[in-house]
Amino acid sequence: MEGVADPRILIPARSTSRRTQVVVEQGIKAFFGGNALVAVVVLALITIFLFREGFGFFGQNLANLRLYRQAGLEYVDIIRGVSMEHESLSRKLSEIRLREVRTMEKRNVPLEEINAKLAPFDQFASSFSDTAETLHSLVSDLTEKASALKEKLFAQAELLAQRSQLERAGAQAEAARIVVPEVDRTAALASLHQGAATYESVSADMTAKLYSLFAAAPPLPDPAAQKNFEQWKTRTREYLAALPAASEKLRTWSSEAEIPWYRSLSSFLFGREWITASFWQDWYGIIPLLVGSIMVSIVALVIAVPLGVSSAIYVSEIASRHEKRLIKPYIEFISAIPSVVLGFFGIAVVGQAVRAASQSHFFKWVSFFPISERLNIFTAGCLLALMAVPTIFTLSEDALRNVPRGFKEASYALGANRLQTIGRVLVPASLSGIVSAILLGLGRVIGETMVVLLCAGNRIAIPDFTQGLGAIFQPVHTMTGIIAQEMGEVVRGSTHYRALFMVGLVLFTITLGINYLAQKLVTRFRMSIG
Amino acid sequence: MEDRGLRIEEHRGGSPSAILHSPSLRRRGRLLEKTLFWLFRLATYFVLACATYIFLDIGIKGGRTVFTSKAPFINVPFLTEPPQTLYVFDFEGKKQTLSDRQFREWKVTHPGVSVEASSIAYSAGGIWPCIVGTALLVVGSMILALGIGVSSAIYLSEYSRNGRWIRLVRIAILNLAGVPSIVFGLFGFGLFVIFFGWNVSLIAGWFTLGLMVLPAIITASEESLRAVPQGLREGSLALGASKWQTIRKNVLPYAMPGILTSSILGIARVAGETAPIMFTAAYAMKDEMPWQVQRMTDFFFQGVMALPYHIYVVSSKIPQNEYTARVQYGSAFVFLFLVMLIALTSIVLRERSRSRLSW
Repeated sequence: MEGVADPRILIPARSTSRRTQVVVEQGIKAFFGGNALVAVVVLALITIFLFREGFGFFGQNLANLRLYRQAGLEYVDIIRGVSMEHESLSRKLSEIRLREVRTMEKRNVPLEEINAKLAPFDQFASSFSDTAETLHSLVSDLTEKASALKEKLFAQAELLAQRSQLERAGAQAEAARIVVPEVDRTAALASLHQGAATYESVSADMTAKLYSLFAAAPPLPDPAAQKNFEQWKTRTREYLAALPAASEKLRTWSSEAEIPWYRSLSSFLFGREWITASFWQDWYGIIPLLVGSIMVSIVALVIAVPLGVSSAIYVSEIASRHEKRLIKPYIEFISAIPSVVLGFFGIAVVGQAVRAASQSHFFKWVSFFPISERLNIFTAGCLLALMAVPTIFTLSEDALRNVPRGFKEASYALGANRLQTIGRVLVPASLSGIVSAILLGLGRVIGETMVVLLCAGNRIAIPDFTQGLGAIFQPVHTMTGIIAQEMGEVVRGSTHYRALFMVGLVLFTITLGINYLAQKLVTRFRMSIG
Repeated sequence: MEDRGLRIEEHRGGSPSAILHSPSLRRRGRLLEKTLFWLFRLATYFVLACATYIFLDIGIKGGRTVFTSKAPFINVPFLTEPPQTLYVFDFEGKKQTLSDRQFREWKVTHPGVSVEASSIAYSAGGIWPCIVGTALLVVGSMILALGIGVSSAIYLSEYSRNGRWIRLVRIAILNLAGVPSIVFGLFGFGLFVIFFGWNVSLIAGWFTLGLMVLPAIITASEESLRAVPQGLREGSLALGASKWQTIRKNVLPYAMPGILTSSILGIARVAGETAPIMFTAAYAMKDEMPWQVQRMTDFFFQGVMALPYHIYVVSSKIPQNEYTARVQYGSAFVFLFLVMLIALTSIVLRERSRSRLSW
């Protein structure tokens, strides 16, 4: 005791130890603070890297688009558009025939009789598709010319890039040794331009032939089919009327017209085609992927929202205590099912089941059944719904439970029954919480990768909305799916690679927006309840 | 229900409201209530039934691969062998299905016999390297995430005062929680694989997965830290302990069970994710086991096979038929079983701590 109490020994010692202690404390605090900053740093890094890798896309895509014009591919595509339209008209004809055959089969007409009845129509259809013969050959001829020119220009650009790289590195002698072949673009383009004259004569010829065909168009036995056929005829007349416009376009087209810089952005954001690694022209348009993602999410939410919200209401208001103790952990347990297992289950079981159901007798009245693809928007949507239900359930249940007890008691005191209390008091009071739960569920669904990669069918196309609800039984590709599928195979630094990062950036922005909205709603909800 | 209805009539006795007095309307209201409640109940049990169906389907079909009817009742080769190519061919009127190794042995024992064998990738052998790879990924990324996550949570709950920086940190954490896993994959690919030049490697996977679960870990840890009563801190500080001593001796020990419990759910998420490791850490096929490396540093910079990626590969890259179902359902079963076991542990522990812990 005495020794310890000696102040002259203790105080100086304590003060140095206290100083080191303060330093240590400060150090510890700084260490923890630094760790807390990691979240900010990571978020910033994600943004930076998506931008860094993605932004080069615009320059590269612009060069890609310029080459498209300079090599005359655009010119050829004008004529190709005309020829494709003709093909689609041809396909429409065979669709009309198919429908006709089906209706007759339903009336138990023997097959020979059907064929005999439709013989004049078949004659008409085949002579219709024959009218485009010369057009098709013109297109394939021009395609060859243009792609040859494109290849030459591409090789030239590559050699030029190599040379400038060497020059920059200081190897002048080696740079001079690279021979860049001259490409005679004017000559090649001039030979392309002759296509315009050929096109004009071809289209005039085709118009004349088609009008004479129309005069001899055979009637169809079924009135509904006849109506379709008349619609087809008006469409074809419109098509014929539009032919001179294309020839006008060909005449005014110039390979030297400048492509404005914003075209690179707009062709990405509004482009309706995502075509990569093609011999002709690569297009990076996000619309089919965006539409795919949105369609899948809508289907998932349409299924998940009623299920999630009503089970939240059930568990928080109606279920007995024992049920509650069982159901709540079980639904949370569902959220732990790995998405890849759900995707596998979709391929192995759900897809088959959906297709089998569409073929069954029970659903015969549905016009777009039976479906041909077992992996489609609906299959993926069903599985994603199961992933969204736990999120929606847990958060809505929280919101319902957080409504002050007084609200409920006041409602009962006014004589409302349980249903009225739930419908008029509890749900409105927790509505913003429920909506934010739904938004977070949407965020989870739209960012989900494995289920859509495995079950959405992976066809890069905008669904055919003319089929109405049938559109949800078509395969699509999604933003998350395309990144997962193509990232492993692209050349680093290529336009395609950067386009995928741009898709990631769009996805990132969408989910941040959804998240922000959900948070806003939650804070408002807390304030309104007090 | 019954007497509440009576009370309404007593209250409104003076005003002749047709709605409240009409017994048929009241009956209709009760009927509506009952139907709707049944609908809610139906929806709830429908969700549960769907999930149960998935568990049963994978459990039964996968169980055929993983369990055997003879002792030791578990298909040991499936769990301990690497995946191999399956060869299917007809020989002397019988259908033979042999794995790569067996097929080579068979060729030696049947010299001069040439058969037309069709091969199916990944469909023979087992999934041992995938299990090991997933375990390595989970352990590494959880160490990383727990280290950073718990430290951040300590800072946020013990040191920070509400300022602009802290608000920023909280916003970042909230938003990071909503970032899709595939975007984390892209980020990991851009930063770790390409920019740092780590290539497809364990360490790139650790960082990607670790950063992905970070928000969940921080939120859970902070919640557990805040649940420790203020009095414990004040008592310690009053006795002259420093801030760090207080945290270490009087806060962390009480918060630790909660932190670990909630972190287990993070483990389930890390183990279950496929998208972030697709181009940062996973290989579809690798012959060596992770410890068969020449130098110690190579261990960190090698890609591994992982169970979720393996399931993706076997369910999308090979056809669905009787020969592939074995490995498809088998791997899905093992994976689901492991992840669900982890999740179940977490949920059970949490339910228990909720009912037991009261300060």
